Amino acid sequence: MKTLGTLIRIEAIKAAKRPAFWITLGFFAALNVMSVVDNVRRARRSTTFNYSLPESWPEILSILPMAGALFVGVLMILLFAPEFSWRTGRQNVIDGLSKTRLYTAKVFVLGGLVALFLTMVVCMGVIGTLFSPSEPSGDGLQATDYSFLAGCFLSLLLFGSAGVMFSALIRSSGAAIGILFLCFFMEKAVTELMERAGEFMRRITEYLPFNAAEDIGDDLAHYPEELARVNVNLTEMGAEPIEFLDVEILVAILLAYSTLFLVTGLLSMRARDL
Amino acid sequence: MAVIDTTELSKRYGRRHANSVLALDRISFTVDEGQVFGFLGPNGSGKTTTIGLLLGIINPSGGSFRLFGASDSKGLLAARLRIGATLETPNFYPYMSGRDNLRIVASIKGVDRPRIEQCLELVGLAERAKHRFKTYSLGMKQRLALAATMLNDPELIILDEPANGLDPQGMHEIREIIGILASRGKTIFLSSHLLGEVERTCSHVAIVREGRIVAQGSVEEVVREGRAAMLRAENEDALVAALEGFSGATSVHRTDNGVIVKLKDQGFADVSRYLADQGIYLSYLAPYRQSLEQVFLELTKGGADLMTEIAK
Repeated sequence: MKTLGTLIRIEAIKAAKRPAFWITLGFFAALNVMSVVDNVRRARRSTTFNYSLPESWPEILSILPMAGALFVGVLMILLFAPEFSWRTGRQNVIDGLSKTRLYTAKVFVLGGLVALFLTMVVCMGVIGTLFSPSEPSGDGLQATDYSFLAGCFLSLLLFGSAGVMFSALIRSSGAAIGILFLCFFMEKAVTELMERAGEFMRRITEYLPFNAAEDIGDDLAHYPEELARVNVNLTEMGAEPIEFLDVEILVAILLAYSTLFLVTGLLSMRARDL
Repeated sequence: MAVIDTTELSKRYGRRHANSVLALDRISFTVDEGQVFGFLGPNGSGKTTTIGLLLGIINPSGGSFRLFGASDSKGLLAARLRIGATLETPNFYPYMSGRDNLRIVASIKGVDRPRIEQCLELVGLAERAKHRFKTYSLGMKQRLALAATMLNDPELIILDEPANGLDPQGMHEIREIIGILASRGKTIFLSSHLLGEVERTCSHVAIVREGRIVAQGSVEEVVREGRAAMLRAENEDALVAALEGFSGATSVHRTDNGVIVKLKDQGFADVSRYLADQGIYLSYLAPYRQSLEQVFLELTKGGADLMTEIAK
């Protein structure tokens, strides 16, 4: 327990004093503020657009799955990879941390970042609804809302875990960020190609990590009624209906990938010299 | 009590055998409590690798070691909290102040805050403690590293080239601090190129070359290993032949000025007596006591240069 407290305290000092942390966080906060302000303005201009809770829960969280997840991945790399280039991680081990504890501390940072991003987005969104003229229905958050929140959490976790793994493997923040984006866009390109190869191959793409994160971060995967309504519209327009894997399967896929990424990073950390 | 005890410790960098480098080749040495141990060797000889292995940042390829008697991972982790160490250049967070950097080290080592200020005072950094590490001069960085090393009042201090890149004033300051630590009875493991200082400061040394220890023991023993003499006799051919048969000679080298013999444990009287027994009477015997630096150069570069120097 004492070790846990020490690890958290050390990482808190490192992050709090790091300008790059605040700049990146500030960018994301600014992005979120712009999104909230835009929603409030739309609600003020239009009588059909409702920006209140719980109706706008998906709107509030919508920034998290892609933009938020990429920010978490990048921020995680910025807080981990320089430990290798500055050799401060090595010094931490010399001072008495084991490699495993140093890595564990970074996993705590990941947990903290995910919690921070979720809290920030939820708080800003909720504050935004206070400035909206829309009338709330008065209902509380439903199971589907919590499901979407959990989906956002897993999406952030996956990108953050990838950030941890690439930091441990590549040990350079610039290169690790580059590889993270490269993998993300490579998966998109591969998905495009596989989708043209037939239904079976398209199904396989749903199991790829970033696609699974994207799907679980899609509000339609959590709101079956809304999905049915959208699909009716799409069918009327002659388009293919949207399908998602079951949320439970997506959760299992994302947990499996996140665990795989974190374990890979740990094994690399333990096997390689600092 | 042995503070450091290595047995056949080896490290090979690279997996493929053809491209791999054997940085350490079965080195064994012991550092006892209270010793000031100099670990000497040219660049690339394996000094930093050895220290890295002891500190747990490099995984060994073979052999084993003990720190304060512990060899299992849990015991080593606990033992490392009794060590203060710096490796190569000082490694700190460039965006943080000296004081904040020490806060991190103090948290890891479980040290109270007042100790941070004491250490900053000791190394003369109290006034610059609030400035960012990246604004420090190299000397200040080295001093901050020493402050971090001393935070937990360690029983064993490991310093890897602490005077690297420093100007004479900086070197002097570092030497003074090491002197203070040594006078307090700390066990110090010092890797350095400053051989004169090592000879004055250290009680024991090990000289490493191409990953192997080529000499170790007390400074007196190592220097004695390098004892040599210039000899002359009427018949130098007979003198050389006799010396080559002398079990106490490690090398015999003929020059224009005479014959240089390097001795193991025997004194010069033993050589003289042996030669007299062989019917050879010396007309000239000039003892030559090498410095640690000369022993080091001989052991790490080969003996020819030294022989030439003696011959001159």
